[in-house]
Amino acid sequence: MSAEENRRSVVVGIFVLLAILILVAGIFVLGGQQKRFAETIEVSALFEDVTGLKKGNHVIYSGVRVGVVNSIKLVENSKIAVTMSIEESARRFIHNDAFAKVGSESLIGNKTVVVYGGTETAPAIEDGAILRTEEQLSTEEMMQTLQENNKNLQAITNDVKQLSSSLVKGEGLAGALLTDERLANNFRTIVANLERTSASSVRASQALTRFTNKLNTEGGLADELLTDTVVYNRLKRTAAELEQTMATASALTAKINNTASKLNTTDNALGVLLNDEQFATDLQLTMQNLEAGTDKLDANMESLQHSILLNGFFRRKARREARQKEREKEKQERLLKLEEKKNLKKGIQPSTVPPTADTVTVIKPIKID
Amino acid sequence: MEVSPENEKRVRTRRSRVISRKIDRFFLALYDIFSFNVRFFKEVFLPPYEGKEIIRQCYEIGVRSLPLISLTGFIIGIVFMNQSRPSLAEFGATSWLPSLVSLAIVRALAPLVTALIGAGRIGSMIGAELGSMKVTEQIDAMEVSATNPFKFLVVSRVLATTFMIPALMMYTMLVALLGAYLNVSANEGTSFVTYFTQVFDAITFLDIFSSVIKSTLFGYTIGMVGCYKGYNSSKGTEGVGKAANSSVVTAMFLVFIEELLSLQVITALR
Repeated sequence: MSAEENRRSVVVGIFVLLAILILVAGIFVLGGQQKRFAETIEVSALFEDVTGLKKGNHVIYSGVRVGVVNSIKLVENSKIAVTMSIEESARRFIHNDAFAKVGSESLIGNKTVVVYGGTETAPAIEDGAILRTEEQLSTEEMMQTLQENNKNLQAITNDVKQLSSSLVKGEGLAGALLTDERLANNFRTIVANLERTSASSVRASQALTRFTNKLNTEGGLADELLTDTVVYNRLKRTAAELEQTMATASALTAKINNTASKLNTTDNALGVLLNDEQFATDLQLTMQNLEAGTDKLDANMESLQHSILLNGFFRRKARREARQKEREKEKQERLLKLEEKKNLKKGIQPSTVPPTADTVTVIKPIKID
Repeated sequence: MEVSPENEKRVRTRRSRVISRKIDRFFLALYDIFSFNVRFFKEVFLPPYEGKEIIRQCYEIGVRSLPLISLTGFIIGIVFMNQSRPSLAEFGATSWLPSLVSLAIVRALAPLVTALIGAGRIGSMIGAELGSMKVTEQIDAMEVSATNPFKFLVVSRVLATTFMIPALMMYTMLVALLGAYLNVSANEGTSFVTYFTQVFDAITFLDIFSSVIKSTLFGYTIGMVGCYKGYNSSKGTEGVGKAANSSVVTAMFLVFIEELLSLQVITALR
């Protein structure tokens, strides 16, 4: 084998090896990504509709890809048995009461089998387990609902059409509102009135605000009443006292009433005095008799003074009274002098005004027996 | 359609015609093609094996085509990614570009581009080489010198194309994906790992294997067409050019037909 041939053989060998390496690398990356070489268990689920699902689609659990769809077969009762390979490593997280449903990777993406739910206490799924399924709303069902909505919408638009044509024709109150000029004018007047009313109410509310502001001014009566507990307590006390006074007054009135009623009767001295006319006549007579008696006594006393027996006594009495008056006069003069001296000491000019009764301390006369 | 010289003689003699000259020529050409293929499969398994010649052809066909194929693949990756972007951007789905482009490259572009470039370069080369050998009677001389010209010339070349085109396709696939990555990385800033994750997310084993099998078929077709056209070229220098030209056109045409047929088969399998 020549050197050239040898070189060619080696190059071809390297070329082929590299190509095979690319292929193998591709297969391994693909297998790794699709988890073809991972240990798996096989579980299945019976669906009623698997539109769009195909072999090789992903099995998702909580958003994580845990396996692939192995086969889709029609079985009895128009059910579809979907067999899935689930990675051994994910098995312990999926419990045997989990549900399976046909989901979608995105709005227009591939379909997936979504495994979800399951209670933590339930055991993990085993090889050959059959998952419970939940049917998803298919596109056809959505379209049906949409169709119903369309019909409703059509009915609504028809109604609106009728309504708008009635409005245009001026039928009914709303129509009249839109088309009748008189009604519109009335309405405008009402609105104008309302506007005025609202303006006045605004003014009223402003005034009220000012008033309440005044009430709230600190130190004001209302504020004190509302906020100062001392004033309140005092008021409360005063009211209580007033009440007590009223009670006393009513008791007093009752007594006065009693007394007055007694005065109206003639079974007591005052009643007799006030009510008995007979007694009044008697009393008048007595008084007249008494007057006549005193006149007579006066004359008797006059005559007694002039009698020798009692003459000395009356003279002594007159002298004693004259002496007492003299003493009082001397005393007054001494007091005046003493006062003047005191004023001079204090530096006050002796008043020119003679002492009045206000300035002179009135000293009660000393009784001399 | 070219007919082998022996059959050409048969058609010319009026007595041996079955229907008419043209129709007979067509069926005889079909027979020739069939027998050529059958002979190839017979010769492949029968010793002596022309190992050195096979290696030489592999070098000529495979290794020497690599720069051209790689460059084409790289450009294809960039261009296809760029051209796909606007339509996906309309949906705001440019993140799907790697998936889309990888599907296109792995499923169709890499095998097809490799086959077409191969048909252009290798088909014409084989056609012209064998054609000129036929014209200069080198093939006849080989037969006289007790060398099996079919084994030496045809089997080695067909085997070389059959093995080298899939290998070249793998290179094209890788280079095209790298080209597409450069483009997507420059525009969308997708990381290498993310890009290849998305690429392998989209494709399946079936895609890769079908591409490899398809490429093998394309390689066999290119080699076989080139050899048949060259081996049966008419005499004269004109025949050489005709053989080269015809082998390229026929090989390309057959590649597309095979692509269409294989698509049906793969879709049925998927």
